[in-house]
This record gives sequence, structure tokens and C-alpha cells, in this order.
Amino acid sequence: MTALITLKNISKTFLTEEIETRALNTINLTINKGEYLSLSGQSGCGKSTLLSLLGLLDAPSSGHYHLAGNDVSALTRDQRAKIRSEQIGFVFQSFNLISDLTVFENVMLPLTYQSGKSKKIIEAKVDEVLAKVEMGHRKNHYPSQLSGGQQQRVAVARALVNDPAIILADEPTGNLDSKNAEAVLQLFDHLHQDGATICMVTHDPSSAKRASRCLEMFDGQLIKDNHNKQDKATIKPAELAAS
Amino acid sequence: MSMLIDIKYAFRLLFKAPKFTAMTLGVLVGGLSISLYTFSFLYTMVYKPLPIPEAQTAKAITVKFDGNYNLITGYEFSSVKESVTSFSEFGVYDNRSIRLSVEASGKDISGSYVQSGFFEFSRTKPILGRTIQTQDTQVGAAPVALISYDVWQSELNGDENVLSKSLMLNGVITDVIGVMPAGYLFPNTSKVWLPLSDSVFNTAAQLSESYHAYGRLNLDTTIEQAELELGQAINQVYQQNVKLYNLPEFEKGAKLMSFQSAQTNGQGGIVFVFLNGISWLILLLACINVGNLLLARTIERQKETAIRAALGATTARLVSQLMWEGIIISSVGGVLSLLLVGAALDYTEIAFHSWVPGGGSFWWHWGMDLETLLMGIAFIFVTILLSAFLPAWRSARQDINATLRDGTRGAQSKKAGRISRILVTSQVFLVATLMLIGSVSAYISHKFINLEMGDNYTDVMSARMTIPESKYPEPEQQLALFQLLKERMEQHPNIVGVVANDWRPQLTVTLEGRDYPSEESKPKIDTITVIGETSTVGINLVAGRQFTHLDKLGNRKTAMISQSMAKRYWPGESPLEKSFQVKIDNKNEKVFVVGVVTDRLNPSTMFSRLDSADEVYLSGLQFISSFQIVYYRILPTTQNAEEIFYQAMFDTDRSIEMTYSVQLASKNRHMMRDSMGLMSNVTFGTGFFALLLAMVGIYGLTANSVAQRTHEVGIRRAVGASDKNITQMFLKQGARQLIIGLGLAVILFALISFGFHKFTEEIFPVYLYFVIATTVVIGLSVIVMLAIFAPTKRAVKMEPSMALRYE
Repeated sequence: MTALITLKNISKTFLTEEIETRALNTINLTINKGEYLSLSGQSGCGKSTLLSLLGLLDAPSSGHYHLAGNDVSALTRDQRAKIRSEQIGFVFQSFNLISDLTVFENVMLPLTYQSGKSKKIIEAKVDEVLAKVEMGHRKNHYPSQLSGGQQQRVAVARALVNDPAIILADEPTGNLDSKNAEAVLQLFDHLHQDGATICMVTHDPSSAKRASRCLEMFDGQLIKDNHNKQDKATIKPAELAAS
Repeated sequence: MSMLIDIKYAFRLLFKAPKFTAMTLGVLVGGLSISLYTFSFLYTMVYKPLPIPEAQTAKAITVKFDGNYNLITGYEFSSVKESVTSFSEFGVYDNRSIRLSVEASGKDISGSYVQSGFFEFSRTKPILGRTIQTQDTQVGAAPVALISYDVWQSELNGDENVLSKSLMLNGVITDVIGVMPAGYLFPNTSKVWLPLSDSVFNTAAQLSESYHAYGRLNLDTTIEQAELELGQAINQVYQQNVKLYNLPEFEKGAKLMSFQSAQTNGQGGIVFVFLNGISWLILLLACINVGNLLLARTIERQKETAIRAALGATTARLVSQLMWEGIIISSVGGVLSLLLVGAALDYTEIAFHSWVPGGGSFWWHWGMDLETLLMGIAFIFVTILLSAFLPAWRSARQDINATLRDGTRGAQSKKAGRISRILVTSQVFLVATLMLIGSVSAYISHKFINLEMGDNYTDVMSARMTIPESKYPEPEQQLALFQLLKERMEQHPNIVGVVANDWRPQLTVTLEGRDYPSEESKPKIDTITVIGETSTVGINLVAGRQFTHLDKLGNRKTAMISQSMAKRYWPGESPLEKSFQVKIDNKNEKVFVVGVVTDRLNPSTMFSRLDSADEVYLSGLQFISSFQIVYYRILPTTQNAEEIFYQAMFDTDRSIEMTYSVQLASKNRHMMRDSMGLMSNVTFGTGFFALLLAMVGIYGLTANSVAQRTHEVGIRRAVGASDKNITQMFLKQGARQLIIGLGLAVILFALISFGFHKFTEEIFPVYLYFVIATTVVIGLSVIVMLAIFAPTKRAVKMEPSMALRYE
């Protein structure tokens, strides 16, 4: 399989009021194209920080991050922004839709930060992804006029609109009831079947089990890496680091 | 206890953000100080009670005539004073400049000619001697005077035997009969009081002089009743003379007002309201800006507020807690501005009394008085309401659930965003307007200061005088008196030349051989009568000759014209011996051109070119006037130049009373230039402060808006927006408001400029307005965009992961 993401000795340290907090500690990880990963662990173990680094929302304090073969660990802010707009899709727990924009405008947002795309192409793409998440009929509504489940489907559409190399989801079902959560997870299943690479942070073991590969973190380190659809082998941290 | 904790917490927050504290304090102190100073300055001029007993019931009486407030004539007063029953006291006085001669020099002193009862009306007794009584005003009475405390001290060294002393006043040896208390300058700036002769009331209606009137009402009479009774009486007298003397057919009435208001011809109230209105707008702007800065801080603590509310704090408790920061800033700002205004008023007191001739009205004493203090406290309360209470109230009434659930994301309602945008646009509009008008004002001042007048007033003295028609009713008598005076002046070895002018209003001129569809289509030209040579004041002969003694009554009427008039009406030919008609006193007089002189800037076209308006000079020997402005050129080394005029005048006729004020001819011009400079500086200073306010306000509003949209910035960044995209987003939004604000200001400026351009007869080239507009627009755009860019840059610096977590 082709490696889409490779993290080598990634660490992240936060310095707040002279207190140093190590959120990630020497992470080594490879994510292949088409994989559906779940990332779980206790609160404060570094899941969201890892997701932020994977999504280039933040830069590592040390180590190397390769995305599609390119080292992206030392890019400028604008270079990272360009990659985010072209290769990464985000889905957040709290949806993070912009309240003053309509559904259509929210979904269109990543494409507006890319250059060279005509309005016609953008509109066609937005309509396509909205249809995919079955939200085409609400495209002129504002987020406040939608239910939580609908808002999250719009957020998923926004994550898909730029045909990302990877979709990063931070507890996408955390704010949803079971019915809506199931709908969103099914959407992810379909996307995975269509070949999308997904990395999902979740607390819910049943949600995690839907992924093809389950990672678990503890105190800034990856402590488990289970391949659900293979042998479900448990890899010790030391072995994981060596890989 | 909880209040003490809140106060301590507020102080801690303010000390934690010293830049913010200093900025908000600066804005508030500026706004409060401007408003308070404007109020105090104008209140003192227009409304401060007279410092005399029973001042509230003392009224100045004016005569309403053709929409203006005029003085009462001696004839009218003497005709109505016995019949009018509304007043317990009723009298007249006349303010004059009085010459105090001391050997070969002297000085002008503000004085008043008053009737008996004048000092009793002011409820003030002399500290020495007696007041003016009935016998002092009778014809032939010995000349007497009361003097002020200042004159007693400065001229007589406080001599206790002052009542046995005499002063040379207006060339007449005058006995001092009393000394008034220190500070008493009633009715305005008088330092010497002379009897107003009863003879002035015995002149015919058409020759009667005008006087200031005063009165105090009977206890059972209202102001309206008194105005009605007196107005009807005066009107009756006037109407009797309308046909007799061919007077304008208007109704006369009476208007009672305070002495302070009368001094501004009843316009003081309008100026007071207008200027205070502007200063209050600036205070409002300051309050809004400070309020917004404080609101931004309360919004930053919105989650904390929501938590307090969730824990059971009532709205009142939350408002109280959030208000303390604003209360402290407003109170400290208020105290600082009171101190600043107090110092500024003390300086004004010193500066104004040294700058204004006579020191200004006697009630004009600036300082931190009770009224200013009370108004200052009122301003502080308003500031607390606008800057502290409203933001706290708004913040305390937030949706707790939304805030606790979404942080600040729910707080930025569309309404708040719209208000913020309107405020930014309004501030841009206000500042742009002030800057544009300020720039034009500065240019005008510059132009005015460097104005080419066409004349030469160097070493020229001027004296304004009116020969009393009551004593010299015939024009020939007036002329003879004046010529005698002129001859005496010319005999002085230091006199280079003497010329007398009477500036007439623009007169209608009819040129021979031209068709005019109507009287209105005929040219209106500034007309000046001349006795002597115009070259005395630098108006030089270009062709023909100056007036001579032959241009007198009975001979052919002659005129000199300006070069511009010669070119305009007789282009390519000599205007000499050409004739035209000039309408004087409803009569067309045919005059022949005997000379052409250089152009001058005349009052009707103050800002125009020298040649944009014409002048006609008529011989003062043929067109006689009782009023003359006498210009006399002296040798540069001449001492006591004004005394030359006074001595000649006293030698001519000591017994007559003349209005004269001798000074350097350029003095008024310099004062006008100084005033223009001051006005320009004030306008520019106000504009600059408004710019500072707007910058702070726009910065605060943008910072507020950016802070509230930090999470949105995080989302946009997460989906790929670059720093540039985010910066552009905020700048575009700011640019929209900038364009609207600037656009409205430029439209207003264009309208004002259009009117101004016409008013100034297009003296300033049109490109000048474009240059000013372009400079202000570019300069202001840069400043405003910087004010928007600064907080945007700060927000952009935040990592997207942090921005997404921002609450």
C-alpha cells in the first residue's frame, strides 16, 4: 500500500506562562492511502493535538512529517494553508460552520481559497457534495436553521468539497444523538468504501471499531495500533516507535 | 464586601493592561475637556450672571427693526419714557472711547456717557464721592466724571484726594466726582463715566443718535407686557416719521434681554448651543469609543460572566461588577479633565484679558466656577452611563446557554455587527468632513494672512469719527469742520499725508450708452468718497489726476475709478472724461472720470483677486458725509502718533463729542489675521483630536470585531485560508465602510466647496479642492486601514488550532 502520511519522531511542546507541557512525545506513524483510522484515548492524551498536526493546523516542535511524499513539517504558514485547502478536509465535533454564511457558502469556502477554479466548477462541485450528504435541499439555509445532524453533514460536505487526500474528523459524533451519529458514521463508511482516507478521533469504542485501524494514545504517545480487518494485533509502543 | 472585591478586581484588570488604560483615559480626558472647556468658556461669555446686586432683574432693552435688534434713538427714548409705565427704572447710555490726555501723550479708555440713575440701576455705590446726578447732565453743567478703581490706581496712584483732582478727558478738563469699586466696569468695559447731556434728547428725529437702553420692570409687569407696551410706543413714534423723513416702512418693536445676550445682539444663545452641540458630539464620540473598548473587554470575559450568571449572579450584580472598570476610568478621566480645564480656564483668563482691547466684558472671568464644576460632574455621569453602564448592561444580558455552549461564537449577533459597521462608517464620515473643512479653513487662513490688499498701511494711522449732525446739521458745516481738522493735522511736521474716506455700500452704476433690461441688471460697485489724496494709503494714480479743491459742490461732479473698472467698461480706450451715473440716496448723479487708480481689495470681495471687483471714488467735497475714516501717514520715527489726531481735533472744536478711535490702520487687519489663524488652529486641532478619537474608535471596533470572529478565523484557516486571505477579508470589510464614510464626506465637501467656490468668486482654482480631497482621502484611508490592519494582524498571527479553541 502507498504511504500517504509518515510521522517520524514528532513531538509537540506548549509553553504557557513558563510551564512547558509536552502534548506529543516522539510519535512515529504511517497512514496509507485509503485507510480508515480511529484515534482514541483519555482526555488530554494528545489526540486533538495530533490531529491538528496531521491537518497542518499547527507545526510540530520537532520531528518530520511527510504528506504524499513531501516533508511538510517546516513549511510556512501560507504553504500549510495551501495544502489544507487542497489536500485536507476537516470535520469538527462542534461542526464549526460560519453562522453568517449559508450552507452553500460554508461548503464552498475551501474552494474559494484555491486559485484557478471557475465559479461554474465550484458551484457544480458544491452541489455534488451536498447531494452526496443529502443536504442539497437546504443549501440556502443558515446553520442556525439546521439540526445538529444536518450541520454535521454540511461540515462533512465541506470536508469533501476539495477532494482531500485525507479527511480528519475530531469527534464528529460527539455533539450528536445516536441516530444522527449513526448517519454520520455511515457517511464515513461510504466514503471509506469509495477510497477516502479518514482519520477520526473518537471516544466511543463502537465508533472506533468501524475503522479499519484503531490507534490509542496515552500521555502523548501512541500505545496501540490495531488493524481491525486483519489480525487485530497489538503493537507495543516500543515496537511502534521502531516501525 | 462583594463591591470591594469587584473594585479591587477592576483595578487589577486596569493595571494589567496599562496601554489600554492609558488609551481610554486619553480619549475620555480629551472628549471631556473639550466639552467642558467649550461650555465654561461660552457660559461665561453669554450666561454668567452680572456681578452686581439684583442682576437677574436688570434688563437690556433693544429695538426690533427689520429682523434685527437695534439701539433706541434719543428721540424715541425722550418721546416714550414718560408714557411707558412698565418700568420702575428706564434709562439710556452710550459707550465711547474716551481720550485721557497726559501732557503730550495719552491713552484711549473705555467709557460710558450715562444719565442720573445709572449707578443706582446697577445697585452699586461709589467707594469715594458721588454718582452722576440730574444737574450734571444739564446743558452747560461743569464737566465731571466718575472713574474706575483701576484708573484711580493707575492714573492717580490711588490718591485719597482724588475728588479734588481733574483729568483731561476728550480734551476737556474734567473734575473727578467719584471712584467706583474694584471690578466694577458696568455696563461692559467702562472705566470712566461721563454725564450724557440732556441736549441729545432735544434733537429732531432724523438727526437723533442711537443709545443703549436699560430697564427694570415693575413688580406686577411681565417681560411680554413690557415688550408690548414699549414696542407699541416706539413704533408709534417711528410711524409718525416714516412719511415725514422718507424712512423705510417697517414695524418697530421692543425686546428685553440680558446684558450678556444684548452684547451678542441676541445671537449668543445660538452660538452657545451650536458650539456646545459640536463639543458634545465629540464627547459622544469619545464615550462611544471608550464604551466599545470596554465592551470588547467585557466580551472577552463573556464566558466568565456567563459562569457567574449560571452560578446565580443577578443581572444587577453582573452589571455592577462589569461597570467598575468603566466607572474607574470615567471618574479618573473626569477628575483629570476638571484639573486640565481649570488650568486652561486660568490661562484663558490671563490671555484673553491681555489680548482683547479693554479686557473684555467685566463679567468675563474664567476659572473653575460652580457651574463648570456641576457641568463637569454631569458630564462624568453621562460618560459613566455611556461608557460603563451600557456595555456592562449589554454584556450582562447575554444568552448564557449560547455562551456556555459555544463560547463567544454566539455573541456576535448580526445586529451588533451592523452597529459596529455603522459606527465605523460614521466616524470615518465625521473625521473626513472635519479634516476636509479643516484643510480648506487652513488654506483660507494661509491665503488671508498673505492676502494682497492693494493698499499700503505701513506707518498709517486711522481714526473713525462722526461729526454730530445735531450740532452741525448742514453738510457744508460738517465739511468745513472736517477740512479745518485736516488742515491742522497737515500742519504737523510728522504728517506725510491725510486722506478721509467714507465707504459706501455697493451703489448702482449706469453706464452711458448701455442698455439694461432692469435696475437689478445694472452693475453694483463699491463706492468710496475721498477727501485728500488716495496715494496716502497706497492707492496710486495710473492715469488722469487726483481730486483737487475744485472738485467741490457746485462744480461738475467727478470720479476716479479703479484700473479693473477702466478695463472692464472701456477696454482699449481711455476712460478719462467718460461719464456714468451713480445712484446715491435714491438719486442718479452723473459723474465724469478724471482719474484712474490702482485696484484694491474691497470688503465685498474679501477673498477675490484685486481686479475681480471695481471701485468708484467720489469727491468727498461733493458727496459729503458726517462719518469719515481719517487715514494719516506719519514719519516712521513719530512718537505718540495718535496724539496728533487728538490734538488737532481738540483744537478744532473741544465742545463736540465725536466717536473716534485712533490706531494703526493695520491693527484691525492684524487682529483679523490672528483671529483667522486661531480659528484655523482650533478647527485643525479639533479635526486632529477627532482623527485621534476615530483611530482609537476604529481600532477598538475592529479589535472587537476581530476578537469575536477569532473562532471564524480558525475555521477559515482550517479549510485553507492563508494569512493574506484573512487579512484581505477584514480589510475588505473595513474598506467598504471607509468608502461609504469617505464617499458621503466627499459629497458633502463637494457641495460645500461648490458654494464656497462661488462665494469666493472662484479665486481658489478648482484643482485645489481636488488636491485637498485627494490628500485627505488618501491620508485618512491609510490611517484607517492601519487601524483596521493592526488588530487583524494580531488575530492572523494565532495558530489555527489555537483560534479554533478560542473562546
